[in-house]
Amino acid sequence: MNSQPKTMKKIPWGKVGSYAVLIFLALLYVGPIFMLVNTSLKTMPSFMKDATSLTTELNFANFIEAWNKANFPKYLLNSVLYTFAATSIYILTAVFVAFPIARKYIKFSGAFLTLFVIALFLPPALIPQFQLILNLGLYNNPIGYIMLFIVNPIGIVILVNYVKTIPKELDEAAALDGCGYFRFVWSIIIPLIRPAIATVVVMHAIGIWNEIIAPTIYLTNKDYYPITRGLIVFQGVYGSNWPTLAAAVLLLTLPMLVLFLVLQRYIVSGLSAGAVKG
Amino acid sequence: MSYHFGRKKSKWTPYLLLLPGLLFYFIIALGPSMATAVYSLTNATGIKGATVNWVGLDNYREFLFMGRASVDNLAALQRTLIFSITVTLVQFTLGLFVALLVNQKLKGTNLFRTIYFMPVILGVVIQGLMWSLFLYPLGGPAAKILSVFGLRSEFLGGQPTEAFAWVIFIQIWANMGTTMMIFIAGLQTIPSDMYEAARIDGANTWQLFRNVTWPLLTPSVNTNLLLNIIGSLQAWQLFLVLVGYRNGTQVLGYLIYATGFGQTSGSTSSSFRQGYAAAASIILFLLVLVIGMSVQYILQRRERRILG
Repeated sequence: MNSQPKTMKKIPWGKVGSYAVLIFLALLYVGPIFMLVNTSLKTMPSFMKDATSLTTELNFANFIEAWNKANFPKYLLNSVLYTFAATSIYILTAVFVAFPIARKYIKFSGAFLTLFVIALFLPPALIPQFQLILNLGLYNNPIGYIMLFIVNPIGIVILVNYVKTIPKELDEAAALDGCGYFRFVWSIIIPLIRPAIATVVVMHAIGIWNEIIAPTIYLTNKDYYPITRGLIVFQGVYGSNWPTLAAAVLLLTLPMLVLFLVLQRYIVSGLSAGAVKG
Repeated sequence: MSYHFGRKKSKWTPYLLLLPGLLFYFIIALGPSMATAVYSLTNATGIKGATVNWVGLDNYREFLFMGRASVDNLAALQRTLIFSITVTLVQFTLGLFVALLVNQKLKGTNLFRTIYFMPVILGVVIQGLMWSLFLYPLGGPAAKILSVFGLRSEFLGGQPTEAFAWVIFIQIWANMGTTMMIFIAGLQTIPSDMYEAARIDGANTWQLFRNVTWPLLTPSVNTNLLLNIIGSLQAWQLFLVLVGYRNGTQVLGYLIYATGFGQTSGSTSSSFRQGYAAAASIILFLLVLVIGMSVQYILQRRERRILG
């Protein structure tokens, strides 16, 4: 079949074409980040003169200015606090919801699971949720804000599916050895389902961290702003000063990118879990 | 399933421990979600202590049929559909195409995957600000590229239809990675001997895709279609960050937020019309329900036909 000599090998057009498309698309993704970095290192006059030219100076003053003026340390601390508190409360309660449902240790397990699955289709809870928080006196209050994020129905579904892969004989053996229900879940099940927990925690935490609607609605006091809201306010004030704004955006982007590279596999496995379910 | 951890009183332990999580879900998510229907029949405001009256279907009537506002509302409804259809079609097709590309045995595919998936992590605010800079009309990169062809544009600050088109583009840019990842997960469940068998039978690349990949990818196809449709019908956050509440660009989700909480963020403006916004929420919900259920029905029939 292959009568051509080795040196005259056909050009693998499929490969070349694939790379061409992949690289073109990658430019669309890396381009905006590169523009951000480039702009953040420029001075305002040089940005005004030519926005896209490669920067010739390394003007790190933008970062210092952004850090000081944007009140970043405060906002960052708020974001960390909200994300950590809400995610911890959520995952602790979620495990004790998911485990008995997966094992059918409670009546109507199937119906309970359905309750969590239908959440995808339900009407947005925006308005009544606001009325609830308002009437509880928790409007513009960090506790009220955290409360909004202690539920996540998709996470429950992922946990239930993972618990089902743990052999049931384990429960029997532990019970025979006199292990109680709480201790069994706490010190045997939780370590065993750690991959699923990691996935759910990462997905949930990223959702809270990036949230912009809820802080706009619920938090009016600047001292309570998370970093996303702080950045939008900063844009409102420094909107035309792109070098400083770009530095502010980058200060927020870099930790997320690093975190992403570390946690990527958990996020991806969460997506796959959802896909298998569907 | 039999319960092993003790009898009598201790039989109730699972229920007791389940209770907090379940209560949270009912109080914070499920309850409020259902209550939207009730609120849609009232003239509730966002002001604490103000009286709330039943107004029947008035909110719906006003939303759909009364005056100039209803014309704008119906335009927003139409725009929501255009947004959803465009985003779903392009994101689905592109996501599948890219998944097929990076699923080949090529060097560097992991890097490409990571790059395409990155915006999902960065979140709406960073996505929006990044593109605002890239689309900077006074000599930004996009403006430079256009000027090569002798074109000019205001991008997000230009005509409403143009700003709207850019938001669609950025929405797809931001979420294509999720679609791609779900397809990759699906592709990896297809056993490779299926391809070998087909190749021995003399199938070409297109036939391989048509007769092996596409049918066996059905679960991911269904998941992605539903997620894309429902997600895009409800998405509006990028509009908030990129263009703000501008005439001629609003979609239903943004309209609900703006009428319920006032157009300017965080201020206690008088336009807190939460009963009305709840009615708009129910209209959006019905849209999601009808479209979602029909697509689900069609997909399931197709799945039964293909996978038996």
